[in-house]
Amino acid sequence: MSNSEKLSYFLNKAKKLGDNNFNNKIRVAILSSFTINGLEESLRVKLYEKKIDCKTYVSGYNQFNQEILDVSSKLYKFSPDLTFLILDTQSTLGNLFHEPYSVSSSERKKIFDEKFDDLKNLVRSFTNQTKSKLVVMNFSIPSYSPYGVFETKVVDGLHNSIKKLNENLANEFLKNDSVYIFDFNSFVNQYGEKNIFDVKQFLFGDMKVSLDYIPNLADEFTGYIFAVLGLTKRCIVLDLDNTLWGGIVGEDGYDGIKLGAGAQGNSFIEFQKYLLSLHQRGILLAINSKNNPDDALDVITNHPDMILRKEHFACMKINWNDKVSNMIDIAKELNFGLDYLVYFDDDPVNRDFMKSSLPDVLTVELPNDPSQYAIILKNMKEFNVLKITDEDAKRGQMYVQQKNRQEFERSVTNLDEFLKQLKLKVKIKEADKFSIPRISQLTLKTNQFNLTTKRYQEEDIKNFVEDKNIETGYAQVEDKFGDNGITSVFILNKRNPKEWYLDTFLLSCRIMGREIEKCIMSHIISKAKKDGVTIIKANYLPTKKNKPIEDFLPDCGFQKNEDGWIINVNNKFKSPDFIEVVDE
Amino acid sequence: MSKRLYSIISKVMDIPISEINDESSPESIESWDSFNSYVLLDELETEFKTEFSIDEVVETKNVADIKKYLKKHGIELND
Repeated sequence: MSNSEKLSYFLNKAKKLGDNNFNNKIRVAILSSFTINGLEESLRVKLYEKKIDCKTYVSGYNQFNQEILDVSSKLYKFSPDLTFLILDTQSTLGNLFHEPYSVSSSERKKIFDEKFDDLKNLVRSFTNQTKSKLVVMNFSIPSYSPYGVFETKVVDGLHNSIKKLNENLANEFLKNDSVYIFDFNSFVNQYGEKNIFDVKQFLFGDMKVSLDYIPNLADEFTGYIFAVLGLTKRCIVLDLDNTLWGGIVGEDGYDGIKLGAGAQGNSFIEFQKYLLSLHQRGILLAINSKNNPDDALDVITNHPDMILRKEHFACMKINWNDKVSNMIDIAKELNFGLDYLVYFDDDPVNRDFMKSSLPDVLTVELPNDPSQYAIILKNMKEFNVLKITDEDAKRGQMYVQQKNRQEFERSVTNLDEFLKQLKLKVKIKEADKFSIPRISQLTLKTNQFNLTTKRYQEEDIKNFVEDKNIETGYAQVEDKFGDNGITSVFILNKRNPKEWYLDTFLLSCRIMGREIEKCIMSHIISKAKKDGVTIIKANYLPTKKNKPIEDFLPDCGFQKNEDGWIINVNNKFKSPDFIEVVDE
Repeated sequence: MSKRLYSIISKVMDIPISEINDESSPESIESWDSFNSYVLLDELETEFKTEFSIDEVVETKNVADIKKYLKKHGIELND
């Protein structure tokens, strides 16, 4: 693993990367107030190993102000997708860093306020000039103070002032989707000030992150890149024996496995707790285990120390099939690509088998020591997203409902009967400020049942909502198993009062195959009729992934003409009668 | 020869071990620029669990100097 590689590995490998034809590409700019050689090399190599093509631009030493303020600078010519602004406490504070108590407390406060304003204005100049997302490092709080033990007694002392500056920074950009704050202070805490800051390297070359830890910083940055490129992993697939508990339940028995009680057993508890925390923010969990299902389910259901229970798993494959086939089944059941899956298994043979058969699945290297599992999980950067919505938090629960639905579907042999018994209820509403983030997220993520695959940022949806000529609608779908949340979006362009244009129509894969799309279309058509519109026009823009929506327009009665599809709103349109529609 | 030392120099400077000798220095090895000399000393410190003083860093001109300081720190190079 390159994680343990030293900087020289990245420096030399970066020279030999050569050309690639990776689909995922990103342009990254690095601006810094100090020498940070080796960072861009580490970043490029790490991303290359993840099949991401990364082009970089590194500004000259301490040139970040000029680069941002000069509208014709090389930075803007490079046109980055993502920019890192790396500042350090010492060069930002200047003399005040060493002599914080040479001035009165009110003067100190004034200086800190000015620093904050300067930075705020600098960021504003940047965001006015480019569409690049910006990651700004916050400031590390030095452990030293000339006040010694008295430091914590001073309200506007050095440490508290830096803390406040960091808070101000975070608050300033809390709601800004283009600017993110990287918590550099906690990065320093994680590895320790005396490791991150090497006094000799600082004296020789103004290096303020020691060479040893440059690859770790690059690691943190990859988290943003995965998120920007939408390469976030969605589901953790877990083996059971020696992964979720110690020992083999089929041999050691229910009472013989190591789970809780003692350091070894507690390693697995610790691992399970972190898995649960990811589940709670929307990462799905699944099981892929060669086991007697009764033995394994007995532990999952009844063992007093188990943290993860049946309701936490979106999918469970506990059988004697080979693990690769199980993995393919899991992806199919969850309606996911294999590249959404992460696989944890203690057995190196299973891991090799998975890696060589399904290279798209991220198979995590695990050491023999289970106490390391939780640490490895915590260090993974692949679960990062730039936005977490309320829907995400509920996702784990929703998939369990989905599992119940599928079991129900199997038990009812007639599809019509199944749909009727599902007691579907569709609430159709116009977008408001609470639904904007989710609507944008659906346009960014939905690939299969998506008519035009137009991607819209939150800013775009906000503009649509304010535009009287555009209607942005969404549907929330409920059934007898629970609430699926906001799972469908349509965007209508009404600029021409006689002819509406269907700009976007999509359905989350979670609710496909329930004829919900037809009742939404019926809603659109009857609304058009009411508004005196005669026809609705639409286009189907085919992609590699949106075949499921291919027949949707003709199925609804749209006719093909030279520039797309068209329907006369007076045509009879039958909405499925087993769905209750609530128009709000 | 000192295998451990030479393999680190070879790794950092990206050159074969056979090209390294006591006289190797920034003058004779192209990739040995000032940044790489910090990288080299940093990786030597980690590998040999020692720390060079600021004077030693300034005085290090070639491989023989590195050997001299490592020996001074009690590190055996006879592997």
